[in-house]
Amino acid sequence: MECVVQGIIEMQYVEALEILLQGLCGVHKELLRVHEICLKSGPNLGFVASEVKLLCDLEQPEPTWTVKHVGGAMRGAGAEQISVLVRSMVESKASKNVLRLFYALGYKLDHELLRVGFTFCFQRGAQITVTVSSVSKMLKLHATDDAVSVTPGIQLVEVTAPATSENYNEVVAAVSSFCEYLAPLLHLSKPGVSTGVVPTAAAAAASLMSDGGGTTL
Amino acid sequence: MEGMIQDPSQPSSQPQPPQQNQAVAGSERLNKALQQQLNLESLKTRAISLFKAITRILEDFDAYSRTNTTPKWQDILGQYSMVNLELFNIVDEIKKVSKAFVVHPKNVNAENAPILPVMLSSKLLPEMEVEDNLKREQLLQGMQNLPIPSQIDKLKARIDMIAAACDSAEKVLADTRKAYCFGSRQVPAIHPTLDKGQAAKIQEQENLLRAAVNFGEGLRLPADQKQITPSLPLHLVDIMPATDGVHSFTDSSGMYMKNSPLMSNNMGSQGSLLQATGAQLISRSAASPAATSATSFDNTTTSPLPYANSPRSGTTMMNTPSPQQQTQQLQQQQHQQQQRQKMMQLPQHQQQLLAQQQFRQSAMQGLGQNQLPLHDLQGQTQQKFQSLHGQMQFSQPLGHQQFQGRQLPPGHVQHGIGQSQLNQGNQLSRHLGQFSSPANTALFNAAQGTPSTQMIPNMSATMSSQSLLPRMQYGLPGSNPQRTHGSQILSDQMFNMGSNPGGLMGMQPQQQQQQQQQQQHGAQGAFGNMGTAQNLQSNMVALQNNPNFAQQRQQNQQ
Repeated sequence: MECVVQGIIEMQYVEALEILLQGLCGVHKELLRVHEICLKSGPNLGFVASEVKLLCDLEQPEPTWTVKHVGGAMRGAGAEQISVLVRSMVESKASKNVLRLFYALGYKLDHELLRVGFTFCFQRGAQITVTVSSVSKMLKLHATDDAVSVTPGIQLVEVTAPATSENYNEVVAAVSSFCEYLAPLLHLSKPGVSTGVVPTAAAAAASLMSDGGGTTL
Repeated sequence: MEGMIQDPSQPSSQPQPPQQNQAVAGSERLNKALQQQLNLESLKTRAISLFKAITRILEDFDAYSRTNTTPKWQDILGQYSMVNLELFNIVDEIKKVSKAFVVHPKNVNAENAPILPVMLSSKLLPEMEVEDNLKREQLLQGMQNLPIPSQIDKLKARIDMIAAACDSAEKVLADTRKAYCFGSRQVPAIHPTLDKGQAAKIQEQENLLRAAVNFGEGLRLPADQKQITPSLPLHLVDIMPATDGVHSFTDSSGMYMKNSPLMSNNMGSQGSLLQATGAQLISRSAASPAATSATSFDNTTTSPLPYANSPRSGTTMMNTPSPQQQTQQLQQQQHQQQQRQKMMQLPQHQQQLLAQQQFRQSAMQGLGQNQLPLHDLQGQTQQKFQSLHGQMQFSQPLGHQQFQGRQLPPGHVQHGIGQSQLNQGNQLSRHLGQFSSPANTALFNAAQGTPSTQMIPNMSATMSSQSLLPRMQYGLPGSNPQRTHGSQILSDQMFNMGSNPGGLMGMQPQQQQQQQQQQQHGAQGAFGNMGTAQNLQSNMVALQNNPNFAQQRQQNQQ
């Protein structure tokens, strides 16, 4: 299971967000460049089509593959009160044959995208990962070099934390409290719920970017 | 009158019923008392009492007039004088009160006398005087010997400078506040808001982004763009040569190894023929006659007979059947091999029949699979064209029983496309006339043209061509479906979906290579229920079959 919230931020404030995250998390950012391939099973494999995501980390010298399955979100009155989305998720590292394997199983490519950005992983009540990335689509199949950004001026911010069914309440609390620190710059919400941008983000970004008034803005 | 001290708290003398002195006494006030009073109230009271007195007198006069008694004039005069005095006093009182608002001299009397000097003194208290001197010293340092006006000017200048400094400081503060958007102290902070247009744009972008990330919308390539890029990114290059929606393929060499024993299955496995293996099989079959030839046919070259199964043509990953197909082939392998061997021993026509049967069976089996690799059509089509073309070419002149070791005379091999192939097709058509059905011809060619290990692929390729040929003919535009041939009927039964693509393929038989490729693409769309690659391969097979039936096609179309 994982807890996840998403938000958007304009490209001009990404640097300020990075500074803020650096201060909050206490770790250095890690660059991110992931080729996500989303596979879907055909109808011949079962009643319900299942989806599998293959993530290829291109930032490493040797590309590493991860297979990930994202399940349904928690539902119910309790889930609606939580400001964070809790959903089942299974993830595993895999060898580079994973794509071939899934093709052999009969999965077909549904869509693919490329994420380029940075990420912060830290422990703050829970193991939280904040990813700020611009999402690009490929006009030609697998052409990661010619990826075009889906939204040129806006980047996606995702805060995720793994959880189990026993401790997800604490994880939710940790993620929520962390997200409050990001309130000056962006709104975070469950995936699927649109938030808009923060109108005063400019001021917050300016104050983050300035070095105490010694320099003009 | 003046010396009399009146208690200020009491209202001034109330004019009682006629009295001479008492009313006068009430009007006297101390000046101090005046200051306290501002007594409109007392004046009012006095005026009312005066009025009452006057009305009393008038009533007396009325009484006098009614009773007709002569009034006592002295009393009346006395009352009148009293009232008069009272009025005068009230007026004077008002005057005195009005004087309280303007400076008027204070009467000095015994009580006032001692304090008057202190109050009148303008000298500062001692400590105040010292402070004052000190400050004056500070201010007028260095200026005291100057004349007064200059001192005044200098002090003014100092004041101006201080004022200017204060102004600039205020300005800097305001600017900084604005820059930090803290808001001025005086004015409450105005929150910056996005205008509606901007907000709407951002909202739209956000929806796009969220949909793309969460649901993959906007990221799916349309079917016609699902072509594999010639240059895969590094992390995919050695993993998969495959394309979307299709099986990934192992590296070609491995596939070739697998394919060769499995090719026997392809003879019957129509499905596999229709699918990925179609193209490769065609190419393989085409190359089979040239297997033993010295030339190394690489699929990427325009050599006449790319030998798909040759170890040398290692990069044709397209031609490797999908693992599914392979497994299917494996399942059928034994059976197929037996049949193949049998076929090789049988006379020609029986082989053809058997092949047809197997073809049919495999068609049934293989129809379920709709996965074909999408490959780079351009390079492949040429090769396949040529390969099949070459096969067709040579099958006839080489006789019946040549299963192995056939070599293509290089002269016959043509790289040409379109016209050249049509010409060759025309050449072949002479030979084709010998056979009852084009399907048989194709099968025969396959049977002839394949060495043992390659016969199966060739046969399967020709099988596919056979199956597609009738289909193509069936679907020729403008031509009525010709079901004269038994093979056509066979194929119609087997390939319910097949007519249109064949027709599309046959539409423009005499076009150049590019157009052929376009045809393939066009026909690709027609294979709605088939995999795209499958369609392509079928198309390619159909294309390859075009030259063989140029006559027919021409007849149909012209």
